Amino acid sequence: MSPVSESYFGIPGYIIFWLLFVVALGLFIQRASLLLRLLKLGQPENRFDRLTYRFINMLAVAFTQSSNLKSFTLKDPAALGHAIMFWGLMIFGVAYLIFIGLGAGFGLYTLFSGSGFETVFYSILDIVAVLVILAMVWVVLKRYLIIPERLKREMGTAEKIIQPLLIIVILGLMVLHFGIEGFRYAAYGIPNPGPLLGASLANALVNSGISREALAITYRSLWWLNFVLLLAAVIYAPRSKHLHPLTSFANLVFRNLAPKGSLKPVDLKKPETRGASKIQDFTWKQLLDLYSCTWCGRCHMVCPAQLSGKPLSPRELILGMKEHLLEVGPDLLKTRRAKPAATTGKAVEAHAEPAAKPQEPGQALIGGVISEDAIWSCTTCRACQEVCPVSIEHIDKIIDLRRHLQMVAMSEIARDPLKNLRVRGNPWRGTMYARTDWTEGLDIKVVGEDSNIDVLYWVGCTEALEDRSLKVAQAVAKLMKQAGVNFGVLGEEEMCCGDPARRLGAEHLFQMLVANNIQLFQSYKIKKIVTACPHCFNTLKNEYPQFGGQYEVVHHTQFIAGLIKESKLKIKPSGKARVTYQEPCYLGRYNDIFQAPRQILNSLPGVTLVEMEQNKKAGFCCGGGGGRMWLEEKIGRRISEIRLEQALNTKAQVIATACPFCLQMFEDAAREKEGAEAPKIKDIAELAAESLEVPQDTARPGNKESTE
Amino acid sequence: MKNIVVCMKQVLDPEVPLSLFKIDTEAKLAVLPKATPPVLSPFDENALEAALKIKDAQPVTITVLSLGKKLTRAVVKASLAAGADQLFLLEDESFSDFNTFLTANALAAAIKKLGQYDLILCGIQAADTNAGQVSTGIASLLSIPCITYARKVELVGDRVKVERTLPEGYEVVEVPSPVVVTTNYEVGALREPDVEAFMSAGKKPLTVWNVQDLGLESGKTSRTSFLKMYQPAHDIKCELMGGASPEEKAVKLVAKLKDLKVI
Repeated sequence: MSPVSESYFGIPGYIIFWLLFVVALGLFIQRASLLLRLLKLGQPENRFDRLTYRFINMLAVAFTQSSNLKSFTLKDPAALGHAIMFWGLMIFGVAYLIFIGLGAGFGLYTLFSGSGFETVFYSILDIVAVLVILAMVWVVLKRYLIIPERLKREMGTAEKIIQPLLIIVILGLMVLHFGIEGFRYAAYGIPNPGPLLGASLANALVNSGISREALAITYRSLWWLNFVLLLAAVIYAPRSKHLHPLTSFANLVFRNLAPKGSLKPVDLKKPETRGASKIQDFTWKQLLDLYSCTWCGRCHMVCPAQLSGKPLSPRELILGMKEHLLEVGPDLLKTRRAKPAATTGKAVEAHAEPAAKPQEPGQALIGGVISEDAIWSCTTCRACQEVCPVSIEHIDKIIDLRRHLQMVAMSEIARDPLKNLRVRGNPWRGTMYARTDWTEGLDIKVVGEDSNIDVLYWVGCTEALEDRSLKVAQAVAKLMKQAGVNFGVLGEEEMCCGDPARRLGAEHLFQMLVANNIQLFQSYKIKKIVTACPHCFNTLKNEYPQFGGQYEVVHHTQFIAGLIKESKLKIKPSGKARVTYQEPCYLGRYNDIFQAPRQILNSLPGVTLVEMEQNKKAGFCCGGGGGRMWLEEKIGRRISEIRLEQALNTKAQVIATACPFCLQMFEDAAREKEGAEAPKIKDIAELAAESLEVPQDTARPGNKESTE
Repeated sequence: MKNIVVCMKQVLDPEVPLSLFKIDTEAKLAVLPKATPPVLSPFDENALEAALKIKDAQPVTITVLSLGKKLTRAVVKASLAAGADQLFLLEDESFSDFNTFLTANALAAAIKKLGQYDLILCGIQAADTNAGQVSTGIASLLSIPCITYARKVELVGDRVKVERTLPEGYEVVEVPSPVVVTTNYEVGALREPDVEAFMSAGKKPLTVWNVQDLGLESGKTSRTSFLKMYQPAHDIKCELMGGASPEEKAVKLVAKLKDLKVI
């Protein structure tokens, strides 16, 4: 009684079935092969290590929907809708496989027909279909009626017509499920079928007095319509914007397993690896990212550049690049095919046309798809990647574009700090200080004079050379001295760790600085490094190993928390203060250090820690990362102002941080606040050091220090 | 192909933090800790940029001359990284950072030895002495014209066309080459080396000449003697005007300034 067993116009049903199937499969493969060949336009990248782990991890993330559900809030419950749709369609996928695919000619269907399994399975399908319909209604509501900011995007007319098709198809399939079920039970008089909704529909149909024959014909028609709709979806999905259900699994498998804070090194000897200016300069994985974006807009809603009115949106970056790839990719494939000699690097035959540079098709990537202003707006805070449910990597693309601008296009951006890095080894051009000035009167070992130390205190350029931050270096040193730590500093020999150079795209300067510092560490046999700068911390810990520099790197919050735990620091009771904590991106999101700074604050007597609304993994950038510390913030609002407002909403008197950039950004933003409104901005080390020495002075509200 | 010679001095970093700057009054020298490298005089960087701007427009050979007692290779090679074709180091114990005539004489001798030169570019002055005499010295010793304070330099046929900055604008001067031109900051800051140059600067040719190579007798060419070197001490006293109101403080301040005969 399966519709495929019937004959239609003398043609056996299963022949029609498989013919249609083969046609749809052919069209699917045709498109899928184009998409795969477009990926091959990209550069090689090894993401094939630890394949078993990769695969299991993908299954875990996809089937638990964990990366999606973590964004669930009552205000925006779309994540739940997606999970329902995912699980629902997975179950339906099994149903289609068993009851349609394998049923058509292989006999599985007859095996299950009327069995308990069928009853249970169809009962589940009934519930699932209702849930999926509800989720789809939610989708329609959010995409077309009450559109939230994250989904607002300009569309062409054709897109507006094509876009809803998949929604219609899914809704259609769900409704057809009930139709097929009801008409089948009614037409074939199956007694007491299990599934509730199907059974009640069957009852209604039987009672309506429609002939069995008519019911059977309707059943078969609905069955075939269902099949055709399914095939239509298979043909249509890879041609639509909905590549996401097809490629997200692969994107999760091939996600980046390297430390979050490490950027891919450039082989400087190979000019073609110096950044990206064309779509084919990106790696295949970077291109796969583009397919996997389904415009959920989560990244768009957390990007500090976007929220402060700058021209960067991580969502638009990815979608823009995707549209660009699909637009220019096929032409690039044609040019490649026409010139196989050029791509393989073999000599062109003598009679060949002189190698005229082929006109790049489509608009330019830099300036066209993404503006230079957008490229330089990124603070590399990683909020976008943190929320992306399919592990799309936005930042490495922006850095690759910056690498091209710095190393090939010789951009003038950040010229002064970068030149200063090259000539003087620090990005603070015009500083009044020498690297050891802050140590005056503190009696601190300089490793060049006495290398008998257990711990190297890596001061970092900002804390050694920037006026306000010198006090942080002094506080850290005082704490270590109090605790009896045998430490030293590199003094004048220390050079920038390289973070600003790398994040600004000047990889050659970064590698020069790294080589210099690694040589220094080697000559002084350095094993353990403590630093108060999350950027230095991240680079030393996660990026130096790329160049053979392996050290135990500890952030000062971890180190101080450890000293307090071991009771090596004696903290005295002091004044009361409400303190909020600004999460440095490179400490929290990049390196998952959330507890140590809070442990210190909670162990300071009198301190009440109040969290900002966006904290820990959702912490909001101060605006100073990614080299932005040295670039002017000319477009939109200042990111630091936005964050300062969020901090002041907690009614805190003190804003504590653990990063010299956060400190400076806040100091700048707070300059306009007067009197009672003006918060104290302190590094956690300063607060801890104050608790040690001058108990009464800790965090007296409104007692802002005079600025020199 | 035209030949441009650029004279670039290695100087003590003008941006060195005060606490690192020490004068050895005995040796009449500025002493720097080992970790603070000298730099190319920023004024001379403008001169090299002027040469590179010409090279952007037409094929020329740029030769850089650096003179000193002991030159730091990594520092002087920055000129090669920025785009100069060859570098000649005039190194001799008898050279001095402060002896203008000796420097001009040695540079002029080196330029003569090079033989071919259409344009000689110098910064308006050196960033350590701020004397500004070497350029005119070279021109005088080579008996060629010198145009100072240029904001733009072009090679037009056998002539050199220069825009000179004036207080109220600029004037355009054209002279037959060879000629010495000093450039100001309006030429533009020296471009950063590209990655290729950054990595290959160490491999470009570098020649070292001493006084014998230049055919000079050391010591005898000096026409100045260096008397004393010291760090000026600025004694700053700060007095705060007290008072109940801003008005009262202002009155006191005015009275004090009148006392001191400042106003």
